[in-house]
Amino acid sequence: MARVKFLCDTDRCIECNACSTSCKNEHEVPWGMVRRRVVTINDGQPGEKSIAISCMHCTDAPCVAVCPTSTLYQTDIGVVLHDKDNCIGCGYCFYACPFGAPQFPRATLFGSRGIMDKCTYCAGGPEENGSEAEFKKYGRNRIAEGKLPICAEVCSTRALLAGDGEVIGEIYRERVLSRGFGSGAWGWKTAYYPEEA
Amino acid sequence: MTMMNANDPVGGTGSSHHKNPPSFPGYRIFGAIAALILLVLLAIQFFELFDNDNQTIPEVRWGTPPISDVQTGLSGVQTDEILRERATLQAERQIYGPSPENDRTFQVGSETQFLTEEIEDPSPFLTRSWASPPDGETAMVRGTDRVEGVSSLPYVGAEVFERPFARDWRLGMADIATHLGALAILGFAFLLAAVLALRGRVPIVAGKSGSKVKRFGWFERMTHWMTSVSFLALALTGIVIAYGDSLILPFGDDFLGQAGWLATWGHMMFFPPFALGILLMFVMWVKHNLPSKLDVTWLKQGGGMFSDELHPSARKFNAGQKLIFWSVILGGGLLVLTGIGLMFPFFWTGIDGMAWTMLIHAIIAVLMIAVILGHIYIGSIGMQGAFWAMWNGDVDRNWAAEHHDLWLNEIDSKKGPAE
Repeated sequence: MARVKFLCDTDRCIECNACSTSCKNEHEVPWGMVRRRVVTINDGQPGEKSIAISCMHCTDAPCVAVCPTSTLYQTDIGVVLHDKDNCIGCGYCFYACPFGAPQFPRATLFGSRGIMDKCTYCAGGPEENGSEAEFKKYGRNRIAEGKLPICAEVCSTRALLAGDGEVIGEIYRERVLSRGFGSGAWGWKTAYYPEEA
Repeated sequence: MTMMNANDPVGGTGSSHHKNPPSFPGYRIFGAIAALILLVLLAIQFFELFDNDNQTIPEVRWGTPPISDVQTGLSGVQTDEILRERATLQAERQIYGPSPENDRTFQVGSETQFLTEEIEDPSPFLTRSWASPPDGETAMVRGTDRVEGVSSLPYVGAEVFERPFARDWRLGMADIATHLGALAILGFAFLLAAVLALRGRVPIVAGKSGSKVKRFGWFERMTHWMTSVSFLALALTGIVIAYGDSLILPFGDDFLGQAGWLATWGHMMFFPPFALGILLMFVMWVKHNLPSKLDVTWLKQGGGMFSDELHPSARKFNAGQKLIFWSVILGGGLLVLTGIGLMFPFFWTGIDGMAWTMLIHAIIAVLMIAVILGHIYIGSIGMQGAFWAMWNGDVDRNWAAEHHDLWLNEIDSKKGPAE
């Protein structure tokens, strides 16, 4: 089975934020939450790099391991999904996430969190694929339609790649070989190969 | 009675030793049964620590509906092919041709093609196969380190790209706090049950005198019970959150979700009386709980716990009670402070601070549950006569003479001997 991943080529990302914007629009993500964001390192200085980050859909995902109500679960293509009906807003997944992916609305008294929302790899949730209920809670289910996440498919510089890890790894490798430089697949070690020394 | 006679030194020692103290055989049997059950639970918990099942494994699979009667469940083949092929659309044109769309085997539209179903028997196979990079890929994978920049998006923590500490937090939460916490609670409960079985209930050696001494006033008792009821509620709701995955999940996902919501809100509702209780107890009792030389003697003699004849001197509170007092004040105080911090996310500290606050809260909480188990034990089934001190405020004179001799002398000299 394909093992889907995200790869952001920092030598190509131009911080246009189209990924964040199209994601918010595609899934109608509420105010105060963002499933994908762009981080700029060394802003305004030589060696400035930008990189888009969302949930990386980790191997041996730490959020799933710490979730006290089994809200989070992983599927056989590697996508980590969540069940909003069971979430209690404890925030454990946020503390355990290396990429700051889980988002919480500030919906309740005492400043406590509402129900968690995160990137679904455009793969919906536990409801029936493509259903209205699923769209309301989790946004569009593009994977069930045979498509890849909107953030990557919309990327104008093809900096953000999504899809099977071997395929996008190969695309990136060929690219680096032909242009002669590359700073590597950022976040892949933390996300996908946590046990490699 | 017979058991106690065997332990009783010939002739006895104290002049107040009129008759054999009760041996409470029923309590010992209860202790033995409880110890046995707890030993089994401890063994299970110990096994859990090493069975390596805390890896995240896929529980749901994707696929297309079966096309023949022979096939059961979804087929992943087409899903796999479509997803792989779709990814190649992102490649450079010089590799995959100028107009890749023409050569596709599959056309995708806006209708749902793939379904999902639960994997019947999830195994760690996929996780293990994902965890090692294919040959030649290691070179292109960037190493792990904390990466922080700026983000034009106005969200908490948006500027942090990568925070490898989070993986360690998972170990701290899922392994140290949860598993070792369960070991601490069960282990301590086992010790208490074993003490009850082997040593038996601590009796009033001289027997009940029938006359009472006032030990705690109504305000002290009210404060105590307010704090203890709220602590029990906090502990139970906390246990639902910390151990719901093992204790409640067998009854269903939805039930766990509902219990979790109740626990989350209950946990916040019982915090004010608990915090108030801690504060009041500190003000009321701190002067009786300052350490003194008596405590060294008391601790050296094990509090007289292991002999009916030995009763180390103590004032209003003995060293054991002082230890409970300070664990409640310091541990409870820390729980209140970290708890308030957790109720207002990112008000005082950022994501790293919040993560540490949560971890400290969880670890102190499980230790406090173990400590309070000991307190509940010695204040109820562990010692004859102790419970009434906090229930109606009066203790038997002989109980006071045996366990708090100096305190009894003090109140006697203030008021004159009780009639």
